[in-house]
Amino acid sequence: MKTWLSRIPYVVLTFYAAVAVIGPLLIDYNPVRTDLGHRLLKPGATAWFGTDGLGRDVFAQVVYGARTSVLIGVSTVVVSAVVGTSIGTVAGYFRGWLDTVLSRGIDILLAFPAILLAIVIAGSFQRSVVVVVGALSATAWISFARVTRGTALSVRERAWVDAARVLGVRRRFILVRHVLPFTAGPVVALATLEFALVVLAEAGLSFLGIGLPNSAVSWGQTIANGKQYLATAWWISALPGIALSLLIVNIGILGDQLTARFGRGQLR
Amino acid sequence: MTRSRLLGLVLATALALTGCGATSGGSDSGKSEITVAGTYPIQNLDPASPAGGGNTGTNLVAQEIFSRLVRPKQDGSVEGDLATDWKSNSTATEWTFNLRSGTKFSHGSALTANDVAASFKRLLDLQSTNAKNFSGYTMTAPSDTQVVLKAPKPDASIPHKLVIFYVVPAKVTGEDPDFFKSPVGSGPFKLQKFDPSGTVDLVPNPNYYGGAPKLDKVTFKTMPELAARMTALRTGEADLIWGIPDDQLPQLQSESNLSVETVQSTAVFTMWFNSGEPALRDAKVRRALWQAVDFPTIIKQLYPQTGTLADSPISPVTLGYVKQEPVKYDPAAAKAALTAAGFDFSKKLRLQFANAEFRPFNQAVVSDLQKIGVQVDPLEKEQAVFTKDLLAMNWDVNFQQLSNPTYDAANTLGRLYTCEAKRNGYCNPSLDKLLAAAVATPDEAERTRLYGEAGKIIWDDAVGMFPMAVKYAYAFNKRLTGFTPDPNGLPDFAKVQVSGS
Amino acid sequence: MTRVVVKRLLVGVLVMWGAASLIFVIVRAAPGDPATLLLGPDAAPDQIRELTAKLGLDRPLPVQYVSYLGDVVRLRFGDSYLFNRPAMAEVFERMPATAELMLASTAIAVIAGLTLGLIAGGRPGKVVDRVVSAGTIALQSFPTFWSGIMLILIFALALRLLPSAGSGTPAHLVLPAITLALPFTATVARLTRTSVAETMREQYINTARSKGLTERQVLLGHALRNSLIPVVTIIGLHMGGLMGGAVVVENVFAWPGVGTLVVDAVANRDYTVVQAATFLVAGIVMIFNLAADLVYSQLDPRIRLESAA
Repeated sequence: MKTWLSRIPYVVLTFYAAVAVIGPLLIDYNPVRTDLGHRLLKPGATAWFGTDGLGRDVFAQVVYGARTSVLIGVSTVVVSAVVGTSIGTVAGYFRGWLDTVLSRGIDILLAFPAILLAIVIAGSFQRSVVVVVGALSATAWISFARVTRGTALSVRERAWVDAARVLGVRRRFILVRHVLPFTAGPVVALATLEFALVVLAEAGLSFLGIGLPNSAVSWGQTIANGKQYLATAWWISALPGIALSLLIVNIGILGDQLTARFGRGQLR
Repeated sequence: MTRSRLLGLVLATALALTGCGATSGGSDSGKSEITVAGTYPIQNLDPASPAGGGNTGTNLVAQEIFSRLVRPKQDGSVEGDLATDWKSNSTATEWTFNLRSGTKFSHGSALTANDVAASFKRLLDLQSTNAKNFSGYTMTAPSDTQVVLKAPKPDASIPHKLVIFYVVPAKVTGEDPDFFKSPVGSGPFKLQKFDPSGTVDLVPNPNYYGGAPKLDKVTFKTMPELAARMTALRTGEADLIWGIPDDQLPQLQSESNLSVETVQSTAVFTMWFNSGEPALRDAKVRRALWQAVDFPTIIKQLYPQTGTLADSPISPVTLGYVKQEPVKYDPAAAKAALTAAGFDFSKKLRLQFANAEFRPFNQAVVSDLQKIGVQVDPLEKEQAVFTKDLLAMNWDVNFQQLSNPTYDAANTLGRLYTCEAKRNGYCNPSLDKLLAAAVATPDEAERTRLYGEAGKIIWDDAVGMFPMAVKYAYAFNKRLTGFTPDPNGLPDFAKVQVSGS
Repeated sequence: MTRVVVKRLLVGVLVMWGAASLIFVIVRAAPGDPATLLLGPDAAPDQIRELTAKLGLDRPLPVQYVSYLGDVVRLRFGDSYLFNRPAMAEVFERMPATAELMLASTAIAVIAGLTLGLIAGGRPGKVVDRVVSAGTIALQSFPTFWSGIMLILIFALALRLLPSAGSGTPAHLVLPAITLALPFTATVARLTRTSVAETMREQYINTARSKGLTERQVLLGHALRNSLIPVVTIIGLHMGGLMGGAVVVENVFAWPGVGTLVVDAVANRDYTVVQAATFLVAGIVMIFNLAADLVYSQLDPRIRLESAA
């Protein structure tokens, strides 16, 4: 029972990944192409999830939106993981002023609710993928830095690291060979949780109209577009939201499982 | 704080929450008070203020508190407010306005020609965007009931231009923020309370020359969000809202206690081409692009109640409106014309617009253009970036809903399409000549004819696409009587009454 | 203890300086300028220049920065470009609405979360526990803006029970407060469940039971009390998250709080308002975090405040 249940997230997430990768190949959708003769169609045989205010297929938007979410999520997590891990490992290993500067910098960024900082950054600049990834990474790297710093702090006291130091092994080599590998587990667990947060935040920004440009297909945008048709065409907002929630639920469960496996550490 | 006290606080808050049901809005019985929910913030009550004096929110309230020489009517013509009649000399450089006698400010003192001339000087001194319409003009008061306005060059549009000019007591000079916290005017209402966060209360001015309004109080509330305005109207918290998009109208029309009325506005959807761009320099190319978009269908689908296919670059309620030959939707001919003109189909055109409200329309246009192979990138920009790029000509097609506060073609055709204006890269000396002649012709019929000719050049050369004339939709509680919707979104409440209260 | 608090406050000052500087850099780097926006497309270039000078934005950036910091130290943030009055006054005017929303949400989350946690934790492993646990994971996963829209769909449009947007009456508060409370409710419920389940395994609970106390008395008398400590702490720690959530929720429901103000101010390039609002939010978040730490250390002697690394 337990093992069977715990596999559900893997199945669901694989399905999402498949939709994100293969879906766009099977379904043709161009956000630019409107079909005013078929606007606000109910979900049915012609359009499974109905159509929006410009006659565009909502199902296709959900499929293409999956790709956008995965793309933004993966890019942001990769950028934050690389930046956060590098900074955290170096600060934790070398300590000293570098570590102090890092801690204060993190304190400053944490003074703002993450979404507020992302809103100020994304709202200030032209809407683009790069700006969104940047705005989300601005706070997402912090957790990676904290966790890897903690790991580095504990690893540096281990006997074999001391031994390597005494033997005169270059510091860069010690870092890469002896310290970094220990951060892998927590980083993977964290990446899963951060992925969920980032996907949610991107949808939120796009919902507020300060996320991705109109040429991109995003769940947040589709949900926002549907808000004005709520009284007559509930499906435009409702269905992409269900797709989004389902994804987040499963990542959450997976993240919990991974966290349990790799130890809570400083994950919070 | 102890645990039990914390829990107590939490419980108390929860009880306070659950104890409240839906309360009904509306006004006290017996008094005729109405609440108006507007879109735009009312930051300031000074219509001549350099920053934001021309704002819709400011004008909405200013026109109730202050009088003008003239004011617009629903059909776009002007009628006397403080002025009873006016005439110009033969060259339209000197205009004489005779004033209504015996008008008073709300605090009782008399309003004379001296107040009018001083207010005009104040407007110019403050150098607001509105003041720019009058640079070099002077106003004098030869008698208590007459003012004379002198223009440095012929200007037949003066009566229309003066609809944005409000009269304050002569003693008010400069910005004087204290005066505008409790202003004194000669309009139908006077200020009771002004809260810059968005609420303004007006009460009748007993000294109004037209007789005090019947309403006991008008409250203006700012609700930028459409959903909030609609909710407020439904619950009775607001009696009047406007600026309602087409898709929402049927919902309001289905409510038995609400009336929905539309009125032809001065606004026209205007999609300039950047004629300075090599790809768009040729009028044949611009015309072909216009032909390629099925505007009748787009309008029928997206704006069934508030849009009509435009037949002129300016709205029917504008002085100078003359109907032009419709541009027929013909994608095949458009494609052929573009190919013949050597149009580069690989070039991606940048279409900029500023408001999410216009996203569907622009996306539909882009979709039609793509059908004949023209690539267009719809760029929705923040207002700040949009304005900057607009002036820097950093676009190929520019979408704007252009309205005209003066109801006079001089303010749109005459101002935006000259070579000197540099607003859309189009320059045509013979158009310039026509526009100069039109503004120097006091006779309205002749002016209209000249603007018609100018409009034909702009239309035929496709300086832009002019797809749609806009109607504004007003929705109000049926207890309101005597309400007239305003073409510029500035409804007046002097004649409104409340029935059955 | 006092030394730790003083040190924390000093770090707080440093953080506030950094926060103020960070926002300064972001808003100045943004394309588009306030003067052009305020005057509109019909303004003459010299008008734009004049207004830019009047707003003090023609000075070199370092000069602007220094005078800005000087003002911030005196808690002055200049006038809002758009509203022509002190930016902080504008923010303070919107603060009560946000505070009202956050307080109501916290109350809902704490009551609902404690209740759910007690129910689930009281019968660990039972069906009830499973259902509640699954439900809380789902609650935490709904994007707030979407659950807000769904609540509008159900309660405002379909059932017509509550207003869909705006403010003014208590009824307007219900939907935004519930929306904002949903994820927080899940957090409180999970926390309570864990704590209650742990307590129920303790020896003294068995003693209590053997004394003849009913299950209900045991739950309310012992388990609930123990779970209050982590709940109080989480309220403090979640203040930042709640504030961020409020920004989004306010925009969904057109709630006239600081969140809608910030989003509008960013779009309008109203630098002073953005600076004032973010500064205030950062200050509030910091104070709540500090307070949570202090309360926690007072309530639970096992935890001592460490001086930060």
